[in-house]
Amino acid sequence: MGNTLEEHIKRTRQLLECGEVAMVIGYERGSVENRRRATFVKEVSELERMVLDGLCCENLANYLVREELLRSFDGKKVAIFLTTAGVRSVNILAAEGQINPDCVIILGFEAEKPGELDSAIKMLDGEHVDHYADSIQQLKSRGFVNDRAQVIVKLEMMSAEERFAFWREQFSRCVKCYACRQVCPMCYCRRCIVDCNQPQWINASAHDLGNLEWNLVRAFHLAGRCVGCGNCEQACPAGIPLMLLNQRMAQEVLKEFNHFAGESSTQLPVLADFKKDDPETFIL
Amino acid sequence: MTKEFEPKIVAFVCTYCTYAGADLAGTSRLKYAPNVRIVKLPCTGRISPMFILKALQKGADGVLISGCHPGDCHFTSGNLHARRRWTVFRSLLNFVGIPDERIWVSWISAAEGNKFAEIINEMTEKLKTLGPFEPYKTLIRDIESPAEI
Repeated sequence: MGNTLEEHIKRTRQLLECGEVAMVIGYERGSVENRRRATFVKEVSELERMVLDGLCCENLANYLVREELLRSFDGKKVAIFLTTAGVRSVNILAAEGQINPDCVIILGFEAEKPGELDSAIKMLDGEHVDHYADSIQQLKSRGFVNDRAQVIVKLEMMSAEERFAFWREQFSRCVKCYACRQVCPMCYCRRCIVDCNQPQWINASAHDLGNLEWNLVRAFHLAGRCVGCGNCEQACPAGIPLMLLNQRMAQEVLKEFNHFAGESSTQLPVLADFKKDDPETFIL
Repeated sequence: MTKEFEPKIVAFVCTYCTYAGADLAGTSRLKYAPNVRIVKLPCTGRISPMFILKALQKGADGVLISGCHPGDCHFTSGNLHARRRWTVFRSLLNFVGIPDERIWVSWISAAEGNKFAEIINEMTEKLKTLGPFEPYKTLIRDIESPAEI
């Protein structure tokens, strides 16, 4: 258990000492006992505050595209603690031209029981995104078999009116804090569409209509890009089941276009690509 | 006497095919339901999901997206990109309870004035049986009326 962190720390110490990386992005204790938060280590002496346990659930790939951090990298590499979902995020960011995957040194880990303090941690081999190709393919072939998939099936058996009522109720709690956007590695736009007011496409106020529109747009922009890390749902102060929408979209693109987000660093985004024989049964 | 419900349809069409097709329907003196408002765009690839949300926000009962048949796009592949976009966006709308029957997609070429008239008639009939898009209209009314305490 402790070995994982020790080995990773040894490696990060080495990387920092030889000057190969400008920064290590990892986890430290949060202000509450059962929470962990991101930490940014630039000096070897700061390494001791790092922790790695089952509570480290946040996908840190988010920080790779934060401009204020990017500037401090100074052309050097960055080492970052990531799960396989995080590696997929890096793949997408690379495919979308946001980062150079060769500048990211991955310290892969996986919690056996994410969210539980005493969970065993497994260290993953491979420091480059390309080393994870096989494990990502395995994830793809496994598909979406989880509790969420069952909830989705249940929702789809409802009538359209019932589904509308369900989501209206869920979204009515939204306060438009945009925490879901801020923690998402995929939401890196300098100017989000909701911040545009000429023209104002969607209502900026946190009333039911504005909330529905915002959540629709957020889910659509993540279609085929979401890796299911769950940062958004975790950050949502209103407890809106955002991952239901995200997973439904991921299932759709897998079924229709055999697209699994973040397969490789050169994969074309699903909506920037097409095939001549894409399904079109719904088109008259 | 109650007036029959007249649905509002917004059609986002490509200028090279469907708009020309609608033009042909007009010059051929074809009669079709007057419920449609046409918005002309350079290509189906230019039609953003934002447009659909805007149309619904402004009280549309149904939306039609129409452009060139695959292979006929003036810009080679705009309609093929659009096809994927609408597959995904329609499934999202459906999942949150905005049913497929209100969001139509079709390929209508410049020579298919008949098809344009038929689709508009068919869509108008269908929306008449479905009635006004009440769930969405409630949302709109809620923000336009003063708060009740």
